[in-house]
Amino acid sequence: MTEVVVFCVAAALALVGALGVVVSKNPVHSALFLIQTLMGVAVLFVLQEAHFLAAVQVVVYAGAIVILFLFVIMLLGVDKAEDFAVEPIAGQRPLAAVVGGALLAIGLTVMVVAVDGSTGTSATFDPQTGQPAETALDSIGADGQPITDIERIGRVLFSDYALAFEITAALLTIAVIGAVVLTRTVSRGERLDDLEPASFDLPPVAPHDNQPDHDSAGESGA
Amino acid sequence: MLALLAQQVPDFVRPDIDWHAAAPELTLLTFGALVTMMDIVWLEKGRKLTSIVASIGLLATMVPIITLAVDGADRSMFGGAFVVDDYALIMKAVFILTGYVVILLSTNYIAEGDYWENEYYGLLLSSILGMILMASARDLITIFVALELLSIPAYMLATWRKRDLKSNEAGMKYYLMGVFASAIMLYGMSLLYGGSGSTLLTDINESISGPGDPSAVVVLGIIFVIVGFAFKVSAVPFHTWAPDTYEGAPTPITAFLSVASKAAGFVALMNMLFVGFFGRDDVYEPVIWILAALSMTVGNLIALRQTNMVRLLAYSGVAQAGYMLAPLAVAGDVPDSALAATVGYLVIYAAMNLGAFAVVIAVARKTRTAEIDDYRGLFHWAPGLTVAMTVFLFALAGIPPLGGWWAKFRIMGAVIEANTAAGVVMGIFVAVNSVIALYYYARIGVKMWAEPAPDDDTAPVRVPVSLTSALVLTAAATIAFGVLPGLVGEVTKVSLLAGVGG
Amino acid sequence: MSDFLRSYLTVAIFGLVGFALVGAFLGLGRLLRPDKPNLAKTEAYESGVDPTGDMWSQSNIRYYIFALLFVMFDVEAVFIFPWAARLEAYEIFGLIEMAIFIFILLLGLLYAWRKGVLKWV
Repeated sequence: MTEVVVFCVAAALALVGALGVVVSKNPVHSALFLIQTLMGVAVLFVLQEAHFLAAVQVVVYAGAIVILFLFVIMLLGVDKAEDFAVEPIAGQRPLAAVVGGALLAIGLTVMVVAVDGSTGTSATFDPQTGQPAETALDSIGADGQPITDIERIGRVLFSDYALAFEITAALLTIAVIGAVVLTRTVSRGERLDDLEPASFDLPPVAPHDNQPDHDSAGESGA
Repeated sequence: MLALLAQQVPDFVRPDIDWHAAAPELTLLTFGALVTMMDIVWLEKGRKLTSIVASIGLLATMVPIITLAVDGADRSMFGGAFVVDDYALIMKAVFILTGYVVILLSTNYIAEGDYWENEYYGLLLSSILGMILMASARDLITIFVALELLSIPAYMLATWRKRDLKSNEAGMKYYLMGVFASAIMLYGMSLLYGGSGSTLLTDINESISGPGDPSAVVVLGIIFVIVGFAFKVSAVPFHTWAPDTYEGAPTPITAFLSVASKAAGFVALMNMLFVGFFGRDDVYEPVIWILAALSMTVGNLIALRQTNMVRLLAYSGVAQAGYMLAPLAVAGDVPDSALAATVGYLVIYAAMNLGAFAVVIAVARKTRTAEIDDYRGLFHWAPGLTVAMTVFLFALAGIPPLGGWWAKFRIMGAVIEANTAAGVVMGIFVAVNSVIALYYYARIGVKMWAEPAPDDDTAPVRVPVSLTSALVLTAAATIAFGVLPGLVGEVTKVSLLAGVGG
Repeated sequence: MSDFLRSYLTVAIFGLVGFALVGAFLGLGRLLRPDKPNLAKTEAYESGVDPTGDMWSQSNIRYYIFALLFVMFDVEAVFIFPWAARLEAYEIFGLIEMAIFIFILLLGLLYAWRKGVLKWV
């Protein structure tokens, strides 16, 4: 019973937050509503006994990602107002409303129709035997202690998903490199326009050996 | 996640690593790290070396791919999440060689345009790493991580000319549409996982391909996953990003996006269709059929009206994606021919499309633009480029004896072989569209050969060595695949179905 | 009520107490303090200088890089945590995996440092 109450409250929090993200006029408010949604989802994770995921949800998403969003919003300038009255492409908004509504309807229908899972088996059932899969609390480790979800994650992460795990590191590093490249400005005193190679789509045909010295062009910035 | 976790063995089991099978990925990862380290140590002083190190990295990655191909055995790791078979090896080789040609196209362009060089090659290598990983990925999580690894560097590379607003627009559109597609696909994947309880494609297949109607969850999951990849391969109606991104991005990156990125989307799609969804052709065949028919028709019709060469190639690429999707629309009826036809088309398409972009880059070194009108009288000042462009355009149109002809022939063969009404109608679509496409390809040919040069400016253009070698490589491949069709036919006679019951 | 929810009951109680305390102190202050507003008092205090312009202002792109690096190491910590929780179970294999993982991420930090974006000029 408690679970049902907690679920309803958390789900309502998440849904209201999600609606708030979409309808808020001020993007900063949208970001704050997003925190509410993420918190609601974190509680839902707790209900699924995924305590570690709940903590990750709060620490990474609510704590770090939304902060990143806020920096971007402040960077783009919340003080700049934009006129939403004019549609850039005629008929775009009604179309978007229709498509969005249709997708929502399809999603809800699928959830209602498919309570039994795909072909008679669902996630809570073992696909091979058709028996209910053991729940998290049932499983006992080799030493007789119950296995926590953090251990379960560790086990698959460092065995079955070892490759994906290492690739994730590469992905994060690329994110940093890309952000540095895209946000870096040339050294002080030089305006970007001065360095513009050409106003055309393609670079100028300068003989390779006649290139300007790049360090003096201030690219390194160091 | 818990249901999956509950089925795991009780204690941590150290996975068996087949170092030979993982060698291509590890080599490329090492070289990617090496390029980054060079940048960290030498900063801009090392910029002349990075393109060389990156090319060496790609060629070094070919070594384990070749030894694996010689060895010939199918290898599998991580419970089937990472598979090395003939199909994976062919696609890895395509990605590596495409990447090599793109580096050849890039060296002068990037250096002379005064763009960041070190990061450019580092990001290019990581994108290719994502692609070769995708060729082996047989698991939802690995597929998703590989997709992100190949996409995220590509978003940044598209906006590399960051002093140009058009390039910013290109990167922005590509990024927004790309993450939107990722989100849809991820939702589809979560539905599939929810419906089957596993992230392994073979397990998913076992769970969803049973007799009887599929459940609504599975249907929606399959459709969302296909839609996600349809963005990646720029199939209509999910193609809208392609022309603007292609036009704004640096041209070598446009070539990379239109060949390697598109091929990676197809590889992922084929992994899903032939391993994950096999037996559920009642769901995916109609979806793919509509995408294929729309892509080739809309792509070709819009291409007729283009005045910019890159935009024309973008729409022609949309149409080509339609041709490549066509055999997948009958994948359930004739799986082996359909797979071989699409893989074969991808191989040949890589050669001819890269070649066409190489010519665009070479011509733009003089004309500064990619307007089709500037190709008038090309023969008078660049006869070599004119011949090469004619070869590539006629190959794209599918005229014998060039590579594109054989590729299209096999597409027709596969859809007719299916012997279903849908297959035959698809065959008619392919035939009609080939005729439409011939018109705009031939129109460029006429402009190049028969019309006078604008302002009678016949000063020759200096084509650097790397660009020339790229042209020679792609032209040789395009012609060889056409006159020796057995070559690509033998190589691409692959099957993905070894691990699947069907 | 199941065990795991009971353990989170403490968390909920602490949260409620926190909100209640803040509300109580602010409410008490409101009740006790004299309330005589004038224009000078209600103005935002900005180190003694007269405030100008809107309080929303555009922030520097540098904050973004720092926030991104923070996200990166946050995610790194998330992956290190399951490893650290059962360090001995993953043996030398897990150690090597984690070493490669951290090495690749370190490249990103070194890169940002070497390119000078960590300097606050």
